[in-house]
Amino acid sequence: MELATKKIVLRYHWVFRIREGWGIFHQSLLGKIGLVLLLLFALMALCSYIPPRLDPMYDPMTGVDPKISHSTGPSMRHWLGTDFMGRDILSQLLAGARIAFMVGVSAAFMSIFLGTAIGMIAGYVGRIMDTLLMRLADMIMVMPTLLVVLILSSLFGQLNIWTIVLIIALFRWPGVSRVIRSQTLSLKQRPFIEAARVAGASHLRIIFRHIMPNVLPLSFLYMTFRVTSAIIIEAALAFLGFGDPGTVSWGMMLQWVWKTGHMFKAPYWLLPPGICISLITLSFYMLGRAMDEVLDPRLRREQEAG
Amino acid sequence: MAEGRHNPLLELRDIRKTYRTRRSLFGSGGREVVALNSVSLEIYHGEIFGLVGESGSGKTTVGRLIVRLEDPEQGSIRLEGVEVTKLRGKALRDFRRKVQMIFQDPYQSLNPQLSVFDTVSEPLTVHRIGNSSQREEQVRKALTAAGLSPPEDYVFRYPHQLSGGQRQRVAIARAMVLKPSFIVADEPTSMLDASISAQIFNILIEMREKLDATLLFITHSLAAARYLCDRIAVIYKGNLMEIGSADEIIQNPIHPYTRALLDALPRFGDCGEMKYYGTLLGREREYVEPSACPFFPRCRPADETKCSRDKPLLKEIFPSHFVACFEPDLKQAEGSGGDTCFYGT
Amino acid sequence: MLLEVENLSVGYQTKKGFLKAVEEVSFTLEKGKSLGLVGESGCGKTTIGMALMGLLPPNGAVTGGRVMFEGHDLLKMSERELRGIRWRKIAMIFQAAMNALNPVHRVDDQIAEAILTHNPQISKEEAVKQVEELFELVGIPKTRMRDYPHQYSGGMKQRAIIAMALACRPKLIIADEPTTALDVIVQHQILQETKNLQKEFNISIIFISHDISIVADVCHHIGIMYAGQLVEYGRREEVFNNPMHYYTKALLSSYPTLSREKKQLLPIPGDAPNLVEPPPGCRFCDRCSASGATCKTGPPEWVEITPTHRALCDRCLEDCGERKHKS
Repeated sequence: MELATKKIVLRYHWVFRIREGWGIFHQSLLGKIGLVLLLLFALMALCSYIPPRLDPMYDPMTGVDPKISHSTGPSMRHWLGTDFMGRDILSQLLAGARIAFMVGVSAAFMSIFLGTAIGMIAGYVGRIMDTLLMRLADMIMVMPTLLVVLILSSLFGQLNIWTIVLIIALFRWPGVSRVIRSQTLSLKQRPFIEAARVAGASHLRIIFRHIMPNVLPLSFLYMTFRVTSAIIIEAALAFLGFGDPGTVSWGMMLQWVWKTGHMFKAPYWLLPPGICISLITLSFYMLGRAMDEVLDPRLRREQEAG
Repeated sequence: MAEGRHNPLLELRDIRKTYRTRRSLFGSGGREVVALNSVSLEIYHGEIFGLVGESGSGKTTVGRLIVRLEDPEQGSIRLEGVEVTKLRGKALRDFRRKVQMIFQDPYQSLNPQLSVFDTVSEPLTVHRIGNSSQREEQVRKALTAAGLSPPEDYVFRYPHQLSGGQRQRVAIARAMVLKPSFIVADEPTSMLDASISAQIFNILIEMREKLDATLLFITHSLAAARYLCDRIAVIYKGNLMEIGSADEIIQNPIHPYTRALLDALPRFGDCGEMKYYGTLLGREREYVEPSACPFFPRCRPADETKCSRDKPLLKEIFPSHFVACFEPDLKQAEGSGGDTCFYGT
Repeated sequence: MLLEVENLSVGYQTKKGFLKAVEEVSFTLEKGKSLGLVGESGCGKTTIGMALMGLLPPNGAVTGGRVMFEGHDLLKMSERELRGIRWRKIAMIFQAAMNALNPVHRVDDQIAEAILTHNPQISKEEAVKQVEELFELVGIPKTRMRDYPHQYSGGMKQRAIIAMALACRPKLIIADEPTTALDVIVQHQILQETKNLQKEFNISIIFISHDISIVADVCHHIGIMYAGQLVEYGRREEVFNNPMHYYTKALLSSYPTLSREKKQLLPIPGDAPNLVEPPPGCRFCDRCSASGATCKTGPPEWVEITPTHRALCDRCLEDCGERKHKS
């Protein structure tokens, strides 16, 4: 058989699997709502590049309307109004969507990467390695992330947004690693791993070729939940005044509302970032729940066959 | 298999293996369970050797020790004269090329995420044998030999798209793709339909001829062992009870436990006057000293004094026919076992 | 006649279409007799058992036929009426039933509980006494009655399950692979005991298995199933000594004998047909050694060999003489 054919067939297999998964996903109302909301937020994030190009006064950070120097309500010129120094709230909101995605996805990706790797190593190597890594995970798990970041930022001054992402990732892997570890432990007992050992496969090969493909779906599932928590942590930090002053995130917006005393005076300023934070976390959560269902029948089908 | 009589391909000498039960929350447990008790075996080049026993007899442990999935506590395992239990690094890799295993449950022994091609070609990739087109050729040959032909119909399927019998044939193809000299087949048909077992048996027999391989066939059925094997060893609670040529064990079983196993074989068809030995005790003896013969609690013809005190050793009762029993009863049961009486495997 | 199954057909709605799992299966079972249904996995044998009990999964449905049990059609009964019959008159021993015991309750309590649910009129003490009798019957020592399931071996769990099935003195027991996962010796003991119990209580049993050798010894009648159809049915001796359908013949030749001369096993080549779109002719013809042109075109007819022995094969009478020489 030609290698080219082989590759096509294998790719076809993945297409088939994704289509099959989509079929199940499609039946989940929660998942569909979540996906539509996420697409809207993604659209917002993409649109964030438009206003500053139209007019420099629409720049979320530096653009100030020359005619306005205080917070105003919605108007034709500023659809959602302006903040205390005349910056456009809509363009800030759009830029916030971009930051939320960036923070959420990159922090989640890093923590999932760490969690999966550590979980697989702990589960596969076992013994002392397992004990050490899992105690470390326990220790980190009981540390309140928010508090630690607060302390760090009071020690080192204002933190860069990427530092915040990194810290979130470093503190959010233990939950994932526990799940991946137990999955790895049960996989390690399965005869196909032993068959690979008898075939002469090295430990690295067993981990990457036999264990990883079987735990990755689970990792991706956890990733959607981690996105949620990363966005919330970033928003909380920013709101408390420890965000990156150089970025416009929804948490920063809320902080400006609060700091300038507009909390109860300017609902047009307070509500949009608040609602956006709630909705984006909710939609990632709903997506995760739907993915949970997609992954579940696959396991069920395997059991049926057995 | 007389030609290799003096230098066996595989030799197990005084193997002992114990497992410690997990200590439970309240301090009980942590007991030592003897899986194998000074087991010695010799398997000669080119033969199919059958290891017959019930679950918990340690038969699977023997297989796992031979392929180095586990290590014995005591004793030595030699393949072609080379000590296996101490192999490390490159020597272990070379050993893995020569010894392969077919697992019991084909639903569990194939990675659900890998295609048939990836599964069967893995040993070749691991040992860096051939280039990709040579590997493809090898995989195709192995699949055909395992009865999956044309191989093109199967290479791109995934385990969940295969029936149990097909999965086991994929597992067999994976075991033979390296052309090993020794293969352990651990109850390869116990999870499959009875009608499929015969296919697997015949594939194993062909495999021996094609690869000039030696097989250890682990099974719970004397009938299956008789069909496939040249020699049979019967194992009970980690102790070998009887070893002999397959025909000898079936036609002339001596050990009461072997006889009990034969009695219990499900049979059908025109069996005429049934041949029964009746060596199994209806109700087990309850209090038995640890030094007793392992089969003593269930043995009807046992000598209450002798058998309850000591463990009998394997003795050569007939040429090449070893039995671990103090007072073997040499009289055989009457009855037909003709060719119209079929046995379950 | 205790049970009469007439032209029973059952199907499942699947993603790939309507799967005809059982088609036009007919058999009868007298009181105190037992029937063995044998076939490879996917031939519909378990489905028959489930259909008789009214326990088909949600995507399954009976599409035709009658199941007369003591003169009443089980298929026409309401769920309420069926519940009155299940366990009390028809009991079932499921595949891997050993795992059906609840690990957190003592075994005797579980069985007493089952008795009480089905006979609310009897007292707790009576139920416990009945359990004692049942355990005696199935050969579990009295000292082990108050154990938890995990303290039992596989064989003992299976005995407890049999005791549970016998609890209400049913007329019919449907046993689906009752001895899979048991050791040879334990399996033998349990089969022998089942045989004795059946005689003692005059119970009818339907044994369902993929392995002829397991059902053969305990059954009076044997039904061979292939691809959703019953293909041969008759008294045990008739089916084994004079198999007529080519599938039965092929099946028998895949079992070893222990005769002095080793006999080559002849496995059946190929795979069973797809039951969503079954072939129009004989379903076995692609794997059959004797199939002719007519086999593929039209469905085969039942051929009666003796009043109690029939086979679903047009050609089965053609070379009877030749077959006798061969065996």
